[in-house]
Amino acid sequence: MDILKLGHVCKSFGNLSVIDDLNFTVAEHSVFGFIGRNGAGKTTTMKMILGFLPLCGGEIYVCGEKVVYGNTKTNRHIGYLPDIPEFYGYMSPKEYLKLCGQITGLKPVQIQKKTKELLSIVGLDGVNRRIKGFSRGMKQRLGIAQALLNEPKLLICDEPTSALDPAGRKEILDILSLVRDKTTIVFSTHVLSDVERICDTIGILNKGKLVLQGELSEIKSTYRQDSVRIELTDKEKILTLKEKIQRIPSVSGAEIYDKSMTFNLSGVKETGAKILQLLADEGMTVSKYEVLEPSLENVFLEVVK
Amino acid sequence: MKEIIAYLPFLIPIVAVELILAVTALVHVLRHENYRFGNRVIWIILVLFVSIIGPILYFTVGRGDE
Amino acid sequence: MRGYIAFTRKEFTEQIRTYKTLIMLAVFVVFGMMSPLLAKLMPEFLSSMAIEGVKITMADPTYLDAYTQFFKNITQMGIIVTLLVFSGCVSSEVTKGTLINILSKGISRSAVIISKYTASVTLWTLSFAAAAAVNYGYTAYLFGSHSTHNLLLSCLCLWLFGAFVISVTFFASTLTKGNYGGLLVTAAILGVLLMLNMMPESVRYNPVSLAANNMALLNNTVSTADMMAALGVTLVSTVLCLTVALCIFRKKIL
Repeated sequence: MDILKLGHVCKSFGNLSVIDDLNFTVAEHSVFGFIGRNGAGKTTTMKMILGFLPLCGGEIYVCGEKVVYGNTKTNRHIGYLPDIPEFYGYMSPKEYLKLCGQITGLKPVQIQKKTKELLSIVGLDGVNRRIKGFSRGMKQRLGIAQALLNEPKLLICDEPTSALDPAGRKEILDILSLVRDKTTIVFSTHVLSDVERICDTIGILNKGKLVLQGELSEIKSTYRQDSVRIELTDKEKILTLKEKIQRIPSVSGAEIYDKSMTFNLSGVKETGAKILQLLADEGMTVSKYEVLEPSLENVFLEVVK
Repeated sequence: MKEIIAYLPFLIPIVAVELILAVTALVHVLRHENYRFGNRVIWIILVLFVSIIGPILYFTVGRGDE
Repeated sequence: MRGYIAFTRKEFTEQIRTYKTLIMLAVFVVFGMMSPLLAKLMPEFLSSMAIEGVKITMADPTYLDAYTQFFKNITQMGIIVTLLVFSGCVSSEVTKGTLINILSKGISRSAVIISKYTASVTLWTLSFAAAAAVNYGYTAYLFGSHSTHNLLLSCLCLWLFGAFVISVTFFASTLTKGNYGGLLVTAAILGVLLMLNMMPESVRYNPVSLAANNMALLNNTVSTADMMAALGVTLVSTVLCLTVALCIFRKKIL
């Protein structure tokens, strides 16, 4: 079942078109990585899903229900973590979760149980001081706890890791992996390594359109372009090697970095054998021969060109 | 003057409330570093020497965001 | 409904922890104590300041002087403090973004506004009632038991005026952006009403007269019936301000 469905969504601020005919669906129990550059329209899209911004065209469905701007009922299915979550500084984490629980309509017993459970998941159990002294990472973690309180079918996280240091980023990603089997996660980011760590499907947003969507593993294999890096012990010979290697027809895009060179090739096996032969004939000593994994970064840079 | 002393039982509660306001505000000024405008010295002076109005101004417009 | 109750409770916690309760109660109780005392001591102050040879003759102060002081304090400083305390109630949450989380939890935007208004008016009512009670007690002690002709009505008028001012600040802060826009618009609206009050034809219907005729009601120079029109207009305006605030806020981009 599709938890989230966007059909022909358009949004412009004045004359500036931000989202232009955006279509995508997110299946239940998947982790959807919503990727785009800064300012690509990720936050705008998420705010439209939550009914915080009016649409200029198109429709959004959450769990089969249409999202209405202003007072939308669909938010009861959603847990939302804003990029920089803001809380009432004069409350303690427990009090804040209690307020959220009361608003969603949980029973007092449930609130107590869930609060305890969630605070320990996000590592804030036993923190009884008021939120005003919290670090960004702590606020982000409380944000996740708050978003998961009503056991939402859809958890929307807007750049949850962008403002954090590597340690904080790892904590957040670990927490998200912990909860992935309980809910569907839509996760926006421009940090590709985060996506590779936890997402199973991705969508790349560029110029208001989704330029690429699908399973992460499939995308990686479709966009597979084998590349090889050779590092020589002798720096002087690298230019000769480049020249000779470029004569092999299935090789393209050779680039030299200091003692090593990288190039793309088709058919690692056959062409690879030719290259090894060449190296032996020339009497070059190789310090490294590496077949490179296709990275999401390459895919991303290619599709947003 | 004698009459004013006679009214002391009435003046004391007023002074007490003013003191409570001033002290609460002073504690808050000293425990926080950010103010929407002004600096610590200005607020300490205002809160202590402008009775009632000083603390009110501090809590309503001077107090920084948490 | 459950959202309304939970959020109203949150508003009360906020009032206490951000010192709003303290400020309002302290200020109003001080007014309640100070007014009769000032009235009683005024002749002594004046005579102690009098230059030798100049004799200031003053009638002995009565309980009416105490009430004059009281209504003067509340309608001027009291209303200003109320304005300062409640003007940021809606706008601060919008500018800080604290409402985003709460709204994504499924509370309706109307419930947020109505909760805030409930909590604000409750605190205003408590503070004003405390001031009136303390003032009554002190006046009775210093001036003896006194006639309370129209006193309740006079206080009710002033109370409604306060509730009206709070609704105007709500309307003004949903209309504007930023922290101080609401305060400025409210001041402007009250300014216009004050100017209108100079036109004799409008006085009858002007909400400002609820805060201007308090002594006249006690003195019996204005009758109960004269206040009815203004009371009605103010009540309707309060409801109107809140309704418009609700409508704007429901469509406000957060």
